[in-house]
Amino acid sequence: MTQGSRSEPILEVRGLAASYGHVEALSPTDLRLDRGELVAILGPNGAGKSTLLRSIVGLTKTRGEVLCEGEPLPRGDPVAVAARGIVLVPEGRGIFGPMTVMENLRLGAYRVRNGGEVARRYERVFDLFPRLKERLHQPAGSMSGGEQQMVAVGRAMMADPKVLLLDEPSLGLAPRVTVEILETLRRLNAEGLSVVLVEQKAPLALELARRVHLLSLGRTVAVIDPREVKTHDELARYYFA
Amino acid sequence: MSGDLLMQSLVSGLAIGCVYGLIGIGFCVIYNASGIVNFAQGAFVMLGGMLTHVGLKTWHLPYWAAALFAVVAVAVLGVVLERIVVRPLWRRKAPVFVMILATLAAQIVIERLTFLLVDDQPKTLPVFTDLPPLKLGAVALSYQTLWIVAGSLAIVAGLAVFFKSTLTGKAMRACAIDREAALLQAIPVSRMLALAFALSAALGAVAGILLTPTQYTAFNVGVPFAISGFIAAIIGGFGRPFGAFLGGLMLGVVQSVAILSLGSGLKSAAALSVLLVFLFFRPAGIFGVAK
Repeated sequence: MTQGSRSEPILEVRGLAASYGHVEALSPTDLRLDRGELVAILGPNGAGKSTLLRSIVGLTKTRGEVLCEGEPLPRGDPVAVAARGIVLVPEGRGIFGPMTVMENLRLGAYRVRNGGEVARRYERVFDLFPRLKERLHQPAGSMSGGEQQMVAVGRAMMADPKVLLLDEPSLGLAPRVTVEILETLRRLNAEGLSVVLVEQKAPLALELARRVHLLSLGRTVAVIDPREVKTHDELARYYFA
Repeated sequence: MSGDLLMQSLVSGLAIGCVYGLIGIGFCVIYNASGIVNFAQGAFVMLGGMLTHVGLKTWHLPYWAAALFAVVAVAVLGVVLERIVVRPLWRRKAPVFVMILATLAAQIVIERLTFLLVDDQPKTLPVFTDLPPLKLGAVALSYQTLWIVAGSLAIVAGLAVFFKSTLTGKAMRACAIDREAALLQAIPVSRMLALAFALSAALGAVAGILLTPTQYTAFNVGVPFAISGFIAAIIGGFGRPFGAFLGGLMLGVVQSVAILSLGSGLKSAAALSVLLVFLFFRPAGIFGVAK
């Protein structure tokens, strides 16, 4: 704990902005994620939440900078960002449907060629999602939405990420499955994983996060501590401000 | 028509069909990696035979070395084509239609360069095994036919293992399924694209080398092969390598039966009729689900 870099945020976003053509989708935005922290990003549809995550990993054209442990991440190069351990589970999951669960997981650790290390990571994913172990040879696209989300998160965990970015993991899932997945997320965070979570379902995010960024119309309208939000009315004020 | 003649024509149809199938697989591999229909595929076939001929007759290399040189050189050419023609357009987000035209332009450039650097004379290669054909009843089976069929099947089996069991093969499939998700797994998608061109080019070259001893090669044989391979890929359901191989076999058989029953002038008409039948009635191919 004596290292100076310990106090450095694991992810820092400075003035990150993105536009599609002439339409600004994200106004210059700052975000700080400390090691082991879980930050949630809330906001209505079209607020720029997904754009923020996609901009961090370099999938969109951006201005501004993103630093990982104080070092700038390359811009416009998602492969390099992923290789640095910043892993996004995109909206809609992005699983490789025709491929088996095992193949999906294996590709999450694409850069790892050491068989023992890959085996260790499989075990960790099976520990998180025991159900995946029973379905290893099934095409991932043939599974239920919740199981597909498990494949997506499990595949991201195969990369042994420094920072996990999740874009609406609860989208289209039954409440029970959503809780299951968010519980796993809580566990991962408790074990030290740094997480940025985009959610539409405010109560779930408020329960998990240490800090919540509220986005509206492409800008951050507030950064709040969930413990200070006593009523949903208060949150609604931010939404419709 | 006699049964023996029909059998003989089926045999030669299957042999040429293997070659169409390999070319069709080449179309699929590039299409899956990039969404582009690469019409320079025929140039790879032509160069496979042509460069082997140059290695053999001009440089006096052993046959196997000349063939190996041709396959490697054509694979490198595939990567060069990807780098200087496809990638710049890709970066500029050019419409797929423009990229397809660019590959057609590349085909013409390669064809003309071959004409200038070599000549316009048809050339052939010696057969791999110089023995009299095997006789199965009245049907003659040349050793080159066996080479073509066995070589093609070995390549198809090798590709199946590559795509199914190697990490690189899986990564290439992943790029075909969801390019963005592949990027997010730190899969070097642009390297996979270059690899797809190398692989397709090498397939085309091997097809050319296997086939040239039974026919001939010249600077301008590429386009007809590209069209046959394209039809094979359509029959198989574009983007399905093994479908394309079966499509190639089917096309080869239809063509040779057409030659037998209707005369060789109608060979191309038969091939294009097969294409039209599929485009009209089964546009997603034998295995495809109609869109």
